[in-house]
Amino acid sequence: MTTDLARPLLLEDTPLGPTAGGFYRRQNAYTGLATGVLFAFVGWLISHALLQGSNWGTDMVVTVTMVGWVVGFNLGVGTFNAPLRWMLGHDQTYEDELYAAGVGQGKKRYYKFCTDHKVVGTQYLVLVVILFFIGGTLAMMMRTQLITPHTDFLSANSYNAIVSIHGMCMIIATIIMVTGPFTNFVMPIMIGAKDMAFPRLNAMSFWVVVSAIPPLLATFVLGGVDAGWTTYAPLSVQAPPAMDAFSITMIVFVISVTVSGVNTIVTVLTMRAKGMTLGRLPIFVWASIVGAALSIYAMPALLIAFTSMITDRVVGTSFFVAGQGGTGWLWENAFWIFGHPEVYIILIPPVGAMLEVASTFARKPLFGYKVTIAGFVAISALSIMVWAHHMFTTGWAPELAGPFMVTTEIISIPTGIIFLCLIGTLWKGRIWTRLPMYFVYLFLWNFIIGGVTGIYLSDTPADEFFHGDMFVTAHFHYTLLGGAMIAATAALCYWFPKITGKMLNERIGKTAFWMIAIGIQITYFGMFWEGFEGMPRRVAFYDPIFQHANDMATGGAYLLMLGWIVLLYAGIESLRHGPNAPANPWHSKTLEWKVPTPVPLVNFLVDPVVTSDPYGYGEPEPVGPVVIPAPHPDRELVPNLSSDNPLAKDDG
Amino acid sequence: MAITTDPHDQGRVVEAVTGHHETREQRHFKERIAVWLFIGGDAIFLLMELFYWFYLRALNTDGMWRGAACSKANPCTDGLGNPITQEIAKANPWYTVSIAVLVVIAAALVWGVERSAQRQLKRSVISGSAAIGLVVLIAAIVVQCYQFGVLPFTTIDGAYASTFQFFMGSTLAHLLLLGFIVAGLWTRARRGRYDDGLWYQVRIIRIFSVWLAVSTCVLAIVMIAFS
Repeated sequence: MTTDLARPLLLEDTPLGPTAGGFYRRQNAYTGLATGVLFAFVGWLISHALLQGSNWGTDMVVTVTMVGWVVGFNLGVGTFNAPLRWMLGHDQTYEDELYAAGVGQGKKRYYKFCTDHKVVGTQYLVLVVILFFIGGTLAMMMRTQLITPHTDFLSANSYNAIVSIHGMCMIIATIIMVTGPFTNFVMPIMIGAKDMAFPRLNAMSFWVVVSAIPPLLATFVLGGVDAGWTTYAPLSVQAPPAMDAFSITMIVFVISVTVSGVNTIVTVLTMRAKGMTLGRLPIFVWASIVGAALSIYAMPALLIAFTSMITDRVVGTSFFVAGQGGTGWLWENAFWIFGHPEVYIILIPPVGAMLEVASTFARKPLFGYKVTIAGFVAISALSIMVWAHHMFTTGWAPELAGPFMVTTEIISIPTGIIFLCLIGTLWKGRIWTRLPMYFVYLFLWNFIIGGVTGIYLSDTPADEFFHGDMFVTAHFHYTLLGGAMIAATAALCYWFPKITGKMLNERIGKTAFWMIAIGIQITYFGMFWEGFEGMPRRVAFYDPIFQHANDMATGGAYLLMLGWIVLLYAGIESLRHGPNAPANPWHSKTLEWKVPTPVPLVNFLVDPVVTSDPYGYGEPEPVGPVVIPAPHPDRELVPNLSSDNPLAKDDG
Repeated sequence: MAITTDPHDQGRVVEAVTGHHETREQRHFKERIAVWLFIGGDAIFLLMELFYWFYLRALNTDGMWRGAACSKANPCTDGLGNPITQEIAKANPWYTVSIAVLVVIAAALVWGVERSAQRQLKRSVISGSAAIGLVVLIAAIVVQCYQFGVLPFTTIDGAYASTFQFFMGSTLAHLLLLGFIVAGLWTRARRGRYDDGLWYQVRIIRIFSVWLAVSTCVLAIVMIAFS
């Protein structure tokens, strides 16, 4: 083996034996697809033969088929390899681990069950873009239907089905839009770790969520979910078989998010570099663990909600059927016990990421670091006590409307404090206005509108008026799209050079920014207008008096979608023709910018030792987290895997 | 990239070559936190199950938690002589109790495996305890499946029947998961994976099995005492 002395030998250069990886060698996304289809077909065949004639035959067949798909896909892609080998007492060898981490596989590793956190992060990024594309396309179909009061583009049922899948597709995408790509790719490097705590669980969380997407899309050919994204019972109990596939999607998604959340918390608690105390963690890391903790609390509620929904539909239980002793209120409670924390599971990680952007480009330490962390924790704690504000008009426990109104309004206090910390960070800073900062400014504007309109909705009397109309739709789009998605876009523009190794084309990016910024205002002000006039949500046809407001919203939506497409084009163009990114193009202080680009497999060529907080801007160098070489040369060198090395042999 | 294979699992001293490996203590620390977090999530699920039970029981929509008791005052017909929902019989509590007892025994046996591994007892002792634990768990699974067949009600017989069977299904799912893990414990013990003081992983399994015993007992108490 020749050695290039000018460059340290990296782990990824390790030559692996022909048996390294074991079964992983034969597995990838395509084998997953094949086994998934095979298992789904076998499931369909058996269940159709045995169950079709029973009371809930079609629902049973759909459920078994979808479960077959999920199990088959994950078997085929390699998700269950390690647990099965563990159970049989055959641990994976060191070489297997290297293979699973993508050593020697080039770009093929992006199509495989790969344990390298950077590969998983990139896979998540692509998945999120695809989900947003699907959700965005569905949104445009809805807006096209609403061009005139009685457009024949979609039937009422199709429109309702599109509303539901647009909603849940976007919820899934926004939950993973930051925790998937950035918490996976960037966060371990930020804390000085070589990977996530459980790399195989990390890869599992990704491939499991991939297996959840086909059932979601299959709903369109199974009659459509016409119960809205909240799938309120008893409407959802009576919905077509698509509801079974929808429920399977949600159950599988819960597994993915829970596993991912546990992994994130354990990583931060146990894998930090020397000197990376909790008080020195970058704010994005705090946001990630708070979001992860909240997901561990909230996801079980969603799990039981959809599990019991499936049993109601497939075996005839009566949780949500009032005629058999159940109640629709049970669904609403279970759903919203998940549903409101979910808003903050979506919101907190992007806000944390955006605060990193603000500090870097304002060249100032983060204003109110500890207060911001306290704000995240307070929001999380309060978010589990506000769920019934979604049920003010349902008639459930009217005596609790007051307390829930108060807790909901109180939550605006820590939210406002974090907002002030963002402004404080920018205040009197020497702001370097690059593309990520554009999106920070846009977040400030949007989130003010989303937040203030939310206070109206938390107020019981006002909610009685606004509930179920387009005002609510405009509010949560300002919050989730204008707030969370825009913050995530700032994070994407910020970390794009580190993830891809290319600088993002800012000229095209700024064009996209202005289209998105203006598009959001036109679209959602249009929806506010519709709401003030009293137009209800989820209607395919409307009274002509709402025509002008709908014209405005639809026009804005087209501009908005075009803006996202231009931004996507900016990314693709930069990947193909953009200049290579230096290791630290923004002169940032956090650790992810101290490693080379592209990032080596083990992240750090030497063990980092952190000596100060991550926001020491304006102080003379060296400051911030500095990397001091530690004497561990074998960390990045090729381990001796010759035939006389015991590690070269599989003892399994 | 963190290499998660424990060099000690390979049965050789290879740390000098594989500086990437974490120590056994580091792995154990990570896994212990993870299992507690998973238990935290499972505890929320358990609380939600209890919420389902007590909420539906308290709401008793149209008197259909367990149906109306028939008596002279309430002859199971409405004023027009049409039948109304009759009170359904309670499930036989002994199955529920048996399952809870079996899970407690299985957890105790897993604890025994941990202690045996800690004391570096013979491999046959460690694997023997694990095998008995697995058999007990399989017995619990069989009893749980059998109970589905002998219930005096079906899924459509009201909220009590639905929730009761949901709890049974939830217990069965947990038992299958624990069964998979204890099967691995037995296999690995037979292969000597826990010789030489490698008992940390068994502790993780013990923590989970004890939690499962606790949650099964909680469900059993609710199913029997609050029907």
